[in-house]
Amino acid sequence: MDVTLHIQRQVEGRKWYQDYTVPVTTGMTVLEALIYVKEHLDPTLSFTCSCRSSICGACAVRVNGNAELSCEVLVETLTQRYQTERLTIRPLGNFKVIRDLVVDWDPKAARIKKIKPALDPKPEFTPETGCKQTPEEFNRYKKYAGCILCGSCVSECNKNTLNQKDFLDPFAFVKAEQLTADTREKDPKERLKAVLDAGLWRCFNCQECTAKCPKHLDPAGAIEKLKEATFKYGLADNVGAKHAKAIYDDISESGMLDESKLNIRSEGLFLSALRAPMALRLMNVGKMNPMDSHPVNPEIKTIQAIVKTAEKEG
Amino acid sequence: MKFAFFPGCVLKGAAAEAYSSMMKVCERIGIELEEIPNWTCCGASHAQGVNDLAALAVNARNISIAEHMGLPILTVCNTCTLQLRTAKYRLDHNPALKEKVNAILAEAGHPYPYQGTSEITHFLWVLDAHPELFMDQVTDALHGVDVACYYGCHILRPQPVMNHEDGKYPESLERLVRRLGGHPVWFAASRKCCGFHAQLAAEHDVLTVTGQIVDSAYREGARLLVTPCPLCQMQLDMYEPEGREAVHSSAQLPILHLQQLVGLALGMSQKDIGFDRHVSGKQQLKLG
Repeated sequence: MDVTLHIQRQVEGRKWYQDYTVPVTTGMTVLEALIYVKEHLDPTLSFTCSCRSSICGACAVRVNGNAELSCEVLVETLTQRYQTERLTIRPLGNFKVIRDLVVDWDPKAARIKKIKPALDPKPEFTPETGCKQTPEEFNRYKKYAGCILCGSCVSECNKNTLNQKDFLDPFAFVKAEQLTADTREKDPKERLKAVLDAGLWRCFNCQECTAKCPKHLDPAGAIEKLKEATFKYGLADNVGAKHAKAIYDDISESGMLDESKLNIRSEGLFLSALRAPMALRLMNVGKMNPMDSHPVNPEIKTIQAIVKTAEKEG
Repeated sequence: MKFAFFPGCVLKGAAAEAYSSMMKVCERIGIELEEIPNWTCCGASHAQGVNDLAALAVNARNISIAEHMGLPILTVCNTCTLQLRTAKYRLDHNPALKEKVNAILAEAGHPYPYQGTSEITHFLWVLDAHPELFMDQVTDALHGVDVACYYGCHILRPQPVMNHEDGKYPESLERLVRRLGGHPVWFAASRKCCGFHAQLAAEHDVLTVTGQIVDSAYREGARLLVTPCPLCQMQLDMYEPEGREAVHSSAQLPILHLQQLVGLALGMSQKDIGFDRHVSGKQQLKLG
């Protein structure tokens, strides 16, 4: 089967698309197809790769809008998914491009430093004895240590696409959760403060990072665990946390969201008063009525008991 | 076809038109809905960030009530679907966690445990799998109108939990719009997240993307946008004016709930589907 790779080229500021026809054989990966182009059709095409075994994370690219680890994904998987023999290949999204499919990791390395990406061990640590940890404690963060820093998670991150300045890359939050959940860490609270500054609550919860991680690490889940940790460490005095808490409390108080009070409980009286024009707009079409009484679930005692019991257990 | 219906909070509040149109459409096409008694909020994709185990136990309770009814669960909200299906996925794949959660339910006095016997599905998925429910009732009311199909995020991802179709290349909504007599149009921002869940914490970015989605759909010729998620609908409809301002656009589009579009295709009027409760595109909807 011949497959056309429609590849985004970029050399010294000049950008164009170029088509290459590759004879695809059974089991051929996207990386092998790119290597075919370089060896047989166009030696000027640039891309990065190293291990070819889904370990080094060097070869992620974007195919038809979705990040893929090119050494792992088969061309035929993608032609079947998109029902086409023409695939568009671009560099990862939300990265600065150096040339063609090669992206610049230097700015990302500078960004991840914001969350203090190294363990600061407890005083019990010595080079000879290390820190003691049970298998159960190890298992709490083991998954996140599997990040190969391929950059797939940030490629389609909706928040990063809009504005990278006040929100870090999902892999940075994965690293932060790995270290926060590590019982050898001396001061998780300090790192959590940095994580909050790095935009923890600005995540859109779009799940793109989780969908794209080739190691199935669930970066969106890591972000949720970090949020939970900020409550445990008393760092929940911000709009995002108050909003989540207001929703959480509604479950125990009535069983259902009380939309008319959600903004006041999230932002406070003053800020939410600035939203009066929106409230009026909604009242005009019957979407909001401050006079409506909020119903209380007849089983609210049981619901409260479930939440309280879970809080004790957790 | 009968389901235990999980309406979710917004259908009982700001998006009441989504509830009433769902009832009318289901009655017309022979889907019987029995509301899950005394259901609670699914956590709205926020509760797990406060206390994960509590959020999980609350949804285990919701699902267990439907199991006791002996019915599969139907939702019509992406986020409710994701929250409930995530709870089910975790409980079904982790016996120790299931035991722990069931102990919590029992200690709190909830009468039945989570068992894992009820499937959880979304209205879009039911319509996609069972076109025979409505095909013989579809009128020519949509006249091939150009429709922007906006899935939202939580009906597509993560793949192991939301596995009706390939989340990287979904087609169910376009297929449904064609079956209803509309014409799906491709638009660049179709896979962008509406940002609803970060509206307060990242307001400027969220309004920008709201504007981008509506503007992109309008520029590609869409004359209405349809979504299977009431939260996406609220974001795009309620904040459409601010979105326009953020991206300097003049695009005005009616933003319809999935079941409203089905209702129109079956010959219902704008009044029938509760379009008077919408904020945006009021003059632009030329159907019904």
